[in-house]
Amino acid sequence: MLANLAIATQNVGLPQYLTLGAILFVVGLIGVLVRRNTLVILMSIELMLNAVNVIMVAFSRFSGTLDGQINVFFVMAIAASEAAIGLALAVSIFRQFKGINIRFFENLKG
Amino acid sequence: MLIDVSGLLFYLLAGLAMASALSVVLVSNPIYSALSLALTMLSVSGLFFHLEAYFLAGVQLIVYAGAVVILFVMVLMLFDLKEEKKAFSGGLISFMFKVILAGLFLGVVSSVIGWTFKGTPTPRQALQDGTAQTKELAIRLFSEHLISFELTGVLLLVVLVGAIVLAKAKGGTHAR
Amino acid sequence: MGADQFEIAVNLLKLIVIFLAMVQLVPILVWAERRGSAFIQNRLGPNRVGPLGLLQLLADAIKFIFKEQFIPANAKPFLFKAAPVIALVPAALAFAAIPLSTPVEVSTFELFGRAWGPYVFEIQTVHMNVGIIYILGVSSLGAYGLLTAGWASGNKYSLLGALRACAQMVSYELALGLSIVGALILYGTFSLNEMVQLQEGPLAFAWFGKQVTVGWLPNWGIIFQPLGAVLFLTAAFAESNRLPFDLPEAEGELVAGFHTEYGGFKMLLFFMGEYGHMLVSSALFVIFFLGGYGIPFLTQDTVFQSLLNNGFSPTVSSLLTSLVFLISFLMKVFFFLWFFIWVRWTLPRFRYDKLMDLGWKTMLPWGLMNLFVTAIAVYVMNRG
Repeated sequence: MLANLAIATQNVGLPQYLTLGAILFVVGLIGVLVRRNTLVILMSIELMLNAVNVIMVAFSRFSGTLDGQINVFFVMAIAASEAAIGLALAVSIFRQFKGINIRFFENLKG
Repeated sequence: MLIDVSGLLFYLLAGLAMASALSVVLVSNPIYSALSLALTMLSVSGLFFHLEAYFLAGVQLIVYAGAVVILFVMVLMLFDLKEEKKAFSGGLISFMFKVILAGLFLGVVSSVIGWTFKGTPTPRQALQDGTAQTKELAIRLFSEHLISFELTGVLLLVVLVGAIVLAKAKGGTHAR
Repeated sequence: MGADQFEIAVNLLKLIVIFLAMVQLVPILVWAERRGSAFIQNRLGPNRVGPLGLLQLLADAIKFIFKEQFIPANAKPFLFKAAPVIALVPAALAFAAIPLSTPVEVSTFELFGRAWGPYVFEIQTVHMNVGIIYILGVSSLGAYGLLTAGWASGNKYSLLGALRACAQMVSYELALGLSIVGALILYGTFSLNEMVQLQEGPLAFAWFGKQVTVGWLPNWGIIFQPLGAVLFLTAAFAESNRLPFDLPEAEGELVAGFHTEYGGFKMLLFFMGEYGHMLVSSALFVIFFLGGYGIPFLTQDTVFQSLLNNGFSPTVSSLLTSLVFLISFLMKVFFFLWFFIWVRWTLPRFRYDKLMDLGWKTMLPWGLMNLFVTAIAVYVMNRG
């Protein structure tokens, strides 16, 4: 068992990072599909964006270029601004409906 | 027959990231969700340090873990929500259906990864050290990607104004 | 016994020793605060326990440890107990990356029949190339301790205090980061060790293309970036929630803000976190603007050579050089800690909306202006 652990830890390469990114992405996806609280849905979206960041930095590291890191820079800036707008929207929804359950948005009217 | 410490570190950080990500999605109380998200951001920052992207790791700590998630936690604490009776939409069947679909998607992606990389492990290319990397990053950001950079600045300004307009109470800060 | 295990053992030892040093500084600071505030307010401070009241803090620590640890009925138990630890950890993590002195070089020596090779001990826990980015990132995690404490107390006043404290901390983090960028442009590196190395020797700068050296001033950052230094000091006050920015824990308004419901050992941990933040801010100010562990008009090589010429072996003279510079660093940091205490008992408190106005409407524009002027000056002076 210890030999297997040794082999596993010596071979950490690109596929391990990609699998981790895929798992984080799918967990975020489940969060968006399953939860009712608007803010938890926004948090799951942040989780998906982080998974993509991990994948891009892993690719950038294993190919020796910096393109992935530049992309991550922009993704971080855009994710932060999207989180800010989402929170502002959540605050105004709370003021109107006294709750932030997603069932308040099921109808297009109002 | 030695355990490679750096590989062990990867598995520890990855395990922490996955456990806290699951906790974000599955815990009912949204504040615990937000604090687990902070832990996820911290482990992703650790993964960036492991991938030798030092500047991005620091920026992840400053921007994500130290500002965005704090904003989430502050807004949640202001709302003071009572525990929702149903934190998950739909019943058990709909929940299982969504999880199975997402699991199928994960299965497809993982098998593609495994099929692409089977056989020889990927060699690591050489990378410059921390400060030279940041300098290189800055040069490319300001020369090749200048338009994207300036547009991101404009986007942040628009978001700043928009967030204030959306969240403002009628009558300003001292309204009743 | 491989080299790996030796490295791990050395790092573990440094981690423990430097963390304990930071924790032991807290009783000294509290003593200085109580005697210093008494001196400013024209009264005596604690002077019964031990000479000059120095053992007062030992008595207080024993009292804290033996107090009953209670949890209020409305509190969430796990987060309530975890919050003081979450408040202490970022300060400890940030202090780990600060260079305290010159490295000690141990040359080869014979012991137990084996040659123990040359080794360099750095007097800091972790040598980071992106030191300042790491420290800024980790200090911003300090807000989690406040939020968790305020919310887990189950008390509306604590929650209000915590939200105010957190909003203040996040706003002033921006000013903190911006005030440093001018200095970063000048030094051209993120690594704190290199910044200290660059501040050695007499004042030397480029003036429209020519190199000018002023022999009677040290090459310190505060001469190049006075506005940045003032902004950094102000933002550091706000980051550690010290007066004049301590409305979140204002006595008399919110009882004690986010740590109202805490007593005994947990309160001690909060204090350690707050003083740890003060220590890290003072150390950063000294490194950026006052030459770090350097002594003006004395470089590291001069001291090392003079010790060697006095007949000490290279190992011992390296150790003594390191000790000299450590004392110099500690003296500068203690001066700034005293400055923190002095300001606390002299200035009145800011009103909350004026506090936020100062952070966003005054410090941000001044920081940006500092950045522009520095960047333009560096470009023009280097080109001539």
